[in-house]
Amino acid sequence: MVHTEGKSKVLYGLYNDDEVLLKAISEANHRHLDIMDVFTPFPVHGLDPLLGLEESRLHQAGFVYGALGTLTAFLGMSWIFTRDWPIIFGGKPYWSVPAFIPITFELTVLFASIGMVVTFYTICGLRPGVVNENLDDRISDDKFCVAFDTTHASDAEVDELNDFFQATGVEEVNTKWI
Amino acid sequence: MTHYILESKHKSVTLGMIAVGVLCLILSFFMEPDTLTGVGADGHAINTHARFWTNLLHNSVFFTGIAFISFFVITASITAYAGWYVAFKRLWEAFGSFMIVGLVFMMIIAIAGFLHVHHLYHWGGNIEGDRILEGKAGFLNNYWYTFGTLIIVGVWYFFYRKMRSLSLAEDEHGNAGYEHHKTMRKWAAPFMIIAGFTSAALIWQWVMSIDGHWYSTMFAWYSTASWFVSAISLTILVMIWLKSKGYYQEVTDEHMHDLGKFLFAFSIFWTYLWFSQYMLIWYANNGEETIYFRERIDNYPILFYGNLVMNFALPFLILLRNDTKRKYGTLIFVSVLCLFGHWWDYFQMIKPGVVHTVHDYIGHGNHSDALNDMEGHIDEVGHGASEFISGFTLPGFLELGVFVGFLGLFLFFVLNTLSKAPLVPKNDPYLGESLHHHVGYGGGNEVHH
Repeated sequence: MVHTEGKSKVLYGLYNDDEVLLKAISEANHRHLDIMDVFTPFPVHGLDPLLGLEESRLHQAGFVYGALGTLTAFLGMSWIFTRDWPIIFGGKPYWSVPAFIPITFELTVLFASIGMVVTFYTICGLRPGVVNENLDDRISDDKFCVAFDTTHASDAEVDELNDFFQATGVEEVNTKWI
Repeated sequence: MTHYILESKHKSVTLGMIAVGVLCLILSFFMEPDTLTGVGADGHAINTHARFWTNLLHNSVFFTGIAFISFFVITASITAYAGWYVAFKRLWEAFGSFMIVGLVFMMIIAIAGFLHVHHLYHWGGNIEGDRILEGKAGFLNNYWYTFGTLIIVGVWYFFYRKMRSLSLAEDEHGNAGYEHHKTMRKWAAPFMIIAGFTSAALIWQWVMSIDGHWYSTMFAWYSTASWFVSAISLTILVMIWLKSKGYYQEVTDEHMHDLGKFLFAFSIFWTYLWFSQYMLIWYANNGEETIYFRERIDNYPILFYGNLVMNFALPFLILLRNDTKRKYGTLIFVSVLCLFGHWWDYFQMIKPGVVHTVHDYIGHGNHSDALNDMEGHIDEVGHGASEFISGFTLPGFLELGVFVGFLGLFLFFVLNTLSKAPLVPKNDPYLGESLHHHVGYGGGNEVHH
């Protein structure tokens, strides 16, 4: 007996080739089928627009993190070297802007990159110790997968999906509670 | 339209630009600023026509560099197995053809140096007793200047002709074995090595040696990055113009996006090198080195700070967003800004040093050189150069006119070369990749397939 509490019944088809996959998704759009997700072993060119995915806003978050890094470094050093602990280095003024720039740059990059990685992992639900269930192990190897959520689908609707799979050259169709 | 046709209208516009340039160059010969003229011991007026010679040098170096870099990018792309640019590689080939014109201009300057007609270079005059210049005389002399220029640009041009003829032959006789392309790979890789070293040597000689006492190990990269950004800016501008005339419909927003990325990335690269050069000199605080920046910050503040605004702050902020690289209006604005900005950059590399050398020559002002500063005459640094010198402190109308003239000459040669071969090459192994180029910009819900 499969434990189905809080899970979705997923009907998925595996394709052999990314070109076939792209054609299948065009066909699915044509038939107004509601795709749950698509899994590919590598990024497939032209997939995002076909799925109607909006451009990621991750880089906007990145800009904010970067700007935070810039401010942290520049204001931090300005405060440290003029108020908190002024030291003369090589006869330069306390507030030596050119000397601050490399560190400002580094902290900008550091904040932006770490911030974006953490944001990305948070969005994807990837935290330490998490166990993600795969639809099929082969989607990280050589298969391209189109998945539909059929938890509340009628038999007629499932038939329609199977029709679609057969019409688009699928290799294999399976169902899984996930 | 597979062939560009050099219409008489395009011809007359570029010839008109050349006419403006020639007129301004002649005027700049006769409009020497008063502070750069003097009276010799025998009572004769001394006029070195520095405004004319600096304008000629400035624009020759700038446009020769654009031609060189355009060819260099082709060889780098071939070596890197890049495919995206192939659809419009004929445009860069056309840019490269200007190298021979640049060589002629640089030879005029070299021979004039031999004959002591101009006084552009600190080392060009009497260097007796100047220990620094005496020490550098093995490199900074008119023989090496002339033959170095001739040999190096000559070798570049030889490689260029070779690659160009292979590219044209590929159109005619290209086959499934891609033999032409393989031969091009063999020519491209050694050229990159040769070009990497020789371009540095040339820029030391052509530009850095104006301030003969000064040197910077960052200089070659920094000024080459300046050429690179200029070349990309001009590529974008000419490409958008060609597209607006109905040519190069194969070149899509995707290619423009990548050109925009190059413009963005190399503007930052230029800034990185500019800053690396500046900060190391600022930090070391060595009188022989800091005098270069002291001079520019004190006497040429608009040149100095304007350079950073035009070539870093504005392109960085404008091109940071993804979509600005796909909008022609923004691309045109930033390209014009960067092209002018890097021309301005070369202006501030060349003009202040020549003012020094000329003042030295005519005995005007009270310039002390770095050697003397070390011996305790620090107060005199830059004295006598703080007044406004037209055509030197800032580019004047004549300078802009000469720029327009050289741009016209450059475009004339480029368009002429462009008209001689199909715009899109045939039989290049990467052509298909280029025609289907896609940068993966998935903005909005556009459906590309």
